[in-house]
Amino acid sequence: MRQSLEIRDPIHGFIYREPEERDVMDTCIFQRLRRLKQLALASLVYPGATHTRFEHSIGAFHLAGKIADALGVASSEAQLLRLAALLHDIGHGPFSHVAEPILKKHSDREKLGKEITESKVHELIGWHIIDTDKELARHISDKHREQIVGLLKGTWGHRYLQEIVSGPIDADKQDYLLRDSLFSGVKYGVYDQERLSNTLAIREDEDDTFLAISIDGIHALEQFVLAKYYMTTQVYRHRIRLITDQMIERGIGLGIEVDGVDWLKALYRFDGTPEYVKNYMQWSDERLINEILGSATPDGYAKRIFTRLNNRQLFKCIFDVDKNDFPDPNVRNFVFGDSKDFYRPLEKTIAEEFKLDSNEVIAYTIKFDSAARTESEIPVIHGMKTPTMFRDESTLFASVDQKIREQRFQIYAPVSFLGETDKKKRLREFKNGILESITKMANPQKELALEGDTSI
Amino acid sequence: MNTSQFVLSLIHAFGGVRGRTLFQKRGYFVSLLMGFNFDLGYQAHYYGPYSAKLDGTLTQMKNLGFVEEATTGFGVISDGFEMRRYDYNLTEDGKRVLEPFLKTAEYAEIAKAVRKIKDAGDPDYVELSIAAKAFFILKKQRKGMTPTELKEEATKFRWDIPENSLGKAVDFLSKVRLASTP
Repeated sequence: MRQSLEIRDPIHGFIYREPEERDVMDTCIFQRLRRLKQLALASLVYPGATHTRFEHSIGAFHLAGKIADALGVASSEAQLLRLAALLHDIGHGPFSHVAEPILKKHSDREKLGKEITESKVHELIGWHIIDTDKELARHISDKHREQIVGLLKGTWGHRYLQEIVSGPIDADKQDYLLRDSLFSGVKYGVYDQERLSNTLAIREDEDDTFLAISIDGIHALEQFVLAKYYMTTQVYRHRIRLITDQMIERGIGLGIEVDGVDWLKALYRFDGTPEYVKNYMQWSDERLINEILGSATPDGYAKRIFTRLNNRQLFKCIFDVDKNDFPDPNVRNFVFGDSKDFYRPLEKTIAEEFKLDSNEVIAYTIKFDSAARTESEIPVIHGMKTPTMFRDESTLFASVDQKIREQRFQIYAPVSFLGETDKKKRLREFKNGILESITKMANPQKELALEGDTSI
Repeated sequence: MNTSQFVLSLIHAFGGVRGRTLFQKRGYFVSLLMGFNFDLGYQAHYYGPYSAKLDGTLTQMKNLGFVEEATTGFGVISDGFEMRRYDYNLTEDGKRVLEPFLKTAEYAEIAKAVRKIKDAGDPDYVELSIAAKAFFILKKQRKGMTPTELKEEATKFRWDIPENSLGKAVDFLSKVRLASTP
C-alpha cells in the first residue's frame, strides 16, 4: 500500500508520502506548479534547466520531513512542516520571482494596506490560496491550514520550526541548490545534505527554540555556503540570465504601462479578492508568452521584447561596472546606494545620446538582498558550553559572504555589433558616455556651478 | 534616512565600534532611543535581537570602501560567545559620504541616543546582549520590566553570564529608562 504512494525523484530517490499528502499534491492548485519553471528562462543559458516548481516543492516537502525526523519533531508538527514546505511556492505566477517587482508595483496598495510593504506579493497570494482554496480545504482542515500559513508567515510554532520552512538553511534552499545544480549541469551546487540534516540541533531558551548546528556539522554547512555562492555566481547571476530576467520584467511592465494590455493589468493587480486569485491560477509561463505573442495582444513593446526572448535575440550588456570604476565616494554611493530614482532619468539620457528607445534601455544593479538572513548567526553547539556563532567558527564564511554581496551596475539595450573590433570600440564609447552621465547626475550642484562659470 | 546612513552614523557617533555583536545591540538600542520610528527588522535570536538588514548593510558599506574592518581572534572562548572580534571604523571615503548627513535632524537624534547609552555606562557586548534580549522578550510578552523581572528573565538564557554583567545590564536599562519602576 505504502509503495503506491512513492515518488521517484532524481535528487532524493524515493520520496514517501501519506495518502492525504498525495491528495494535496493531486489538487489543481498544486498541479499548476508543473507549468511554472523553477528558473524562468534560464534554459536560454542552460538548456537543461527546464525543471519546475512542482518537483522542487516535492523535494522541499521531503527534506522538511527528513530534517524534522533528524530533530525528533513530534509527528503532528512534522506533518504540518511537510505540508508547509510543499505549499511554500503555491503563490508563484508566471516567471516566479522575476515577476515579483511587477506585482509589487501594480498591486492594489489601498486594499492590501501595510501587508504589501511587509511581505512579498507571491507570498501574500500563496497564503490567500491556502486559506481559501476549496479543493485544498477538502484535504487539510481549517485549523491545519491556519497553522501552515502561520508557519510560513512566521507567526505560528516555535522559531526552529519556522526556520525549517523559511530560514538561512531551510528545506527550500537545501532542495533548490541540489536541483538547480543537477538540471543546469553546473556541478557546484552539491553539498553533503545528509550530514547537514543530521547535525542540525535545537537550542532552547526560556522564550523560544532555535535551529542550531552541532560543531560536527560545520564543514557540511561551509559546503552549503560555498554551493550557494557558486550557484549564485554561475547560475542565478549568470550574465545572460540576468538579461533575460530584466527583459521579462521590462516587457511585462511596458505591456501594462505603455501598451495598455488589459489582461496584463488584471494579472498583476493583486487586490486580495477571490476573483483575482481565480484568474491568477489560470496562468503559466507558457501561456503568458503565447498570449503576448498571440493576435489578441496589440503590437507594442511587450510583443517586441517577448518575440526577442522567444527567438533568443537578447539585449546586450552595454555597460558593466563595479565600485572600482567610481573613485569619487559620493558617486560610488550614488550608484550603489539604496535609491533607484536615477535609473529612469539615466535610461533616458543614454537613449538620447546613443539614439536608442529609452523604454528599451534597462539599468540594473546586481546585489544581494541586504535584509536576507544568512548563515552568519546560526548557533554552533559545543556540548555544554555557551554556543558560538557560525561566522566565528568558519574560516571561509566571512570572505564568501562579503564576495556574494559585491555589487555591479549594468545597462542592457537592444544593440548589435559588427564584429569584435566594432564591439570593443562601441563598448568603450558606451562606457565613457554613461560614466560621464552618471557623474553629472551624482553631482548636480557641481554641474550647475561649472555651467555658470564663464571665466576662461 | 536609509539604513546605510544609519550604519555610518552609528559608527561615527560611537567613534568606532569594537565587535559585531556590540554593533548589532547598539543599533538596537539607538533605534529604540531615537525620537522617531526607524524599523530595522530586529528579530528574536538566540543571542538577542538581530537585524539581518543592519548586518547586510554593514557588509555592503565595507564592500563600498566606506567602513574598514579589523579582526582580532581570541583563539579560545574565554567568556561570552564571540571567538573573534571585528572592529569597525569609517574610512576617509565613508566620512566624506556621511558628511552632509551630519547636519540633519535625524543624525542629531542618533547622536542623542548614543549619548544616552554612553552616559548609562556604555556596556560591553555581553552586558548589552543581556539587556537587549531581556528587554526584547519581555516587550514581546508584554510582561513587566522592573529590574527584578529583567534580572529573572536574563538568568533563563542558559548563557554563562557573570553576575556583575547581569547587574550592569539591568542597571543600564534603568538608566536609559527602558526598565519600569518596581
